Amino acid sequence: MIKGYAGRILDVDLSRRTFGFRPLDEATAKLYLGGKGYGIRLLYDLTPAGIDPLGPENPLIFATGPLNGSLAPQSNRFAVVCKSPLTGGIGSAACGGSFAFGLKKAGIDILIVRNQSPTPLRLELDGDKDSVTFLDATDLWGQGTRATQEALGKGRNHAVIGPAGENLVLYAGIVSDERIAGRTGVGAVMGSKRLKAISVTGTRKLELENQEKFNEYTKWLRKLFRSHPVLGEKLRRYGTMGIVNTTNARNILPTRNFKLGHHDDAMSVSGEYLEDHGLVGVKSSCIHCPVACGREVTVAGVGRVKGPEYETAALLGPNLEITDLRWVNEWNFLADDLGMDSISLGVTLGFAMELQERGLLQSGLTFGDATGISAMIQDIAHRRGLGNDLADGVKRMSERHGGADFAMHVKGLELSAYDPRGSYAQGVEYATTNRGGCHVQGASMYFESTGPLTIDPQSLRLKAEIPVVQQNLACAINSMVLCIFTTYGMIPRQVHELDPKGRLHRTITFLFERSGPMYRLLTKLKLAPVTWFEKWLTYITGQTFTSGHLQEIGERIFNLERMYNLREGIGGAEDTLPHRMLHESTFPHLDSGHPLDQLLPRYYEIRGWDPQGVPLQRTLDRLQVRT
Amino acid sequence: MSITVELTYDLAKALGNRRLELEGTPTLRQVLALTRERFGAEGAAFDRLTRVTALVVNGVIASRTHGQDTPLQDGDRVSFLKAAAGG
Repeated sequence: MIKGYAGRILDVDLSRRTFGFRPLDEATAKLYLGGKGYGIRLLYDLTPAGIDPLGPENPLIFATGPLNGSLAPQSNRFAVVCKSPLTGGIGSAACGGSFAFGLKKAGIDILIVRNQSPTPLRLELDGDKDSVTFLDATDLWGQGTRATQEALGKGRNHAVIGPAGENLVLYAGIVSDERIAGRTGVGAVMGSKRLKAISVTGTRKLELENQEKFNEYTKWLRKLFRSHPVLGEKLRRYGTMGIVNTTNARNILPTRNFKLGHHDDAMSVSGEYLEDHGLVGVKSSCIHCPVACGREVTVAGVGRVKGPEYETAALLGPNLEITDLRWVNEWNFLADDLGMDSISLGVTLGFAMELQERGLLQSGLTFGDATGISAMIQDIAHRRGLGNDLADGVKRMSERHGGADFAMHVKGLELSAYDPRGSYAQGVEYATTNRGGCHVQGASMYFESTGPLTIDPQSLRLKAEIPVVQQNLACAINSMVLCIFTTYGMIPRQVHELDPKGRLHRTITFLFERSGPMYRLLTKLKLAPVTWFEKWLTYITGQTFTSGHLQEIGERIFNLERMYNLREGIGGAEDTLPHRMLHESTFPHLDSGHPLDQLLPRYYEIRGWDPQGVPLQRTLDRLQVRT
Repeated sequence: MSITVELTYDLAKALGNRRLELEGTPTLRQVLALTRERFGAEGAAFDRLTRVTALVVNGVIASRTHGQDTPLQDGDRVSFLKAAAGG
């Protein structure tokens, strides 16, 4: 087996209560790395088109990659893959915490969970005994993710669902420690199997091809990350909420259900404000992470808990016209404990508020008023009353109540907290990403709107190129499996330290903005490792990786995802943005919104797809994508 | 003519105010000068805290247009932008 892999897939059948180990396929690992990529390959091969996402035929796949268990910084993440009950297309989510580490220590690269149990169940996996124990989980059913993990105890690594997953909330997630695989409703799929929790243990040692070089390089890299202005300073000091004031200044902070991109009081939910008002500690729930972006806050009646991330602070904050951190902290805790995606939750609540404002739904929820939101979040998780409606997300709600023009989703997945009208590459990324409107499938906004470069986010230059390169890279990263934050280190400290008002900075930006052909060429070259991604893979597996290889692997995964969606009837017509994003302007110098129609043809061309967004056969052949 | 200046967290903390309302400031250069004036003897602190920031008018980086000579209009919002990353 290639080094870096445990070499085993564990296949569990909940109906028959059987399990079996089989070898990981080396050829597939070479083509798709592991994690999300390998998981999607399995999903494509194991299922026919048109399955019910909440039916027994939808497998739930937990997948690690060659980086997991290696002790590389930011590498304790796992991917979850299944058909999404929220979008009807490819479902995938990634999660930190400690579960990935546990799986690898148990000698498991990938865990496939099939079929459904008639009663609540939990699994205990023991990698040393090669055993799987099926245990009754009736006593845990209904418990929050925190209480569930406490009951399961220390000494094992857990992945659990809360009431939201049990009650099939379409944006329920799977929680490990205090991190969540939040997007696309993977928790509802676990709930449909009546699988409350998976606990894993093992003491197997991971073998790397060149442990000495890996250690030496990783030690150096830890120092580099610690001194990096974003990874080592801003994220470490303020957490991800440290970006609130930046997106607000850029006019891309979702406010009032994305009606606006700026809130006068946004500073009150920023990482800087939190540091001075209510931060009780720094917490990294992901083991071996030198960044430690997690914050610790106090919630009344609960105690110390993990604080909100940027997405949560923005979408449960200014997006609802709420800027009192005490509420945001409480709702964030509720979302985590009940086990649901706080991005989809925030957007859904904002949509319900606008429906109320327009007289389309008597939701009882109004912008700027925190009254009733905590109770509504509980109702959503338990599908009680109007909560049952909101539990289906904004796409289905708009089909029932109207308001499709301001239903903020792509392909059914609620938008993340970067308004694409001020971040055109991010808009293309939202529109084309296979799982729907999400920011961590490329994070294009960092290169055009929030990072140290000051390219014009509202020109058309590079706005098709950046998403292609970043989506490919993100696919590879999610298959290693690494944290997307590692990409923030790609812009060196020296650029961060330049004054953006100065001539040198403007020159660098000017050149970058015109680097489209060079940008594409560089990503195709397979000459030498360029960044830590390739070096780590090379030291771990013994195979030579370059940025060109990673782009190719990522492109392969992205195209396979695309083929999965096409098989499910989701194609180019769904590569769009909400009406509000396309037709309403939030900038005084512009009359309309995001110019997607001018960028999409170019994006398809670079991808090697036809004008309808379907990969050409020669593209699939080049990438060895079997369909 | 009224211009709103939104300060960074550090600037706001130093000045004890999150935003300033300035009257009769037709260019960004004048906005910068008047904002610095508010810091009085602490002008050096203002320079330090704004060294690695871009100037933004209504969400658009000013160096993209006319730099500090960017003409302003009544009701414009001027911000100091610091690079950051979230997720």
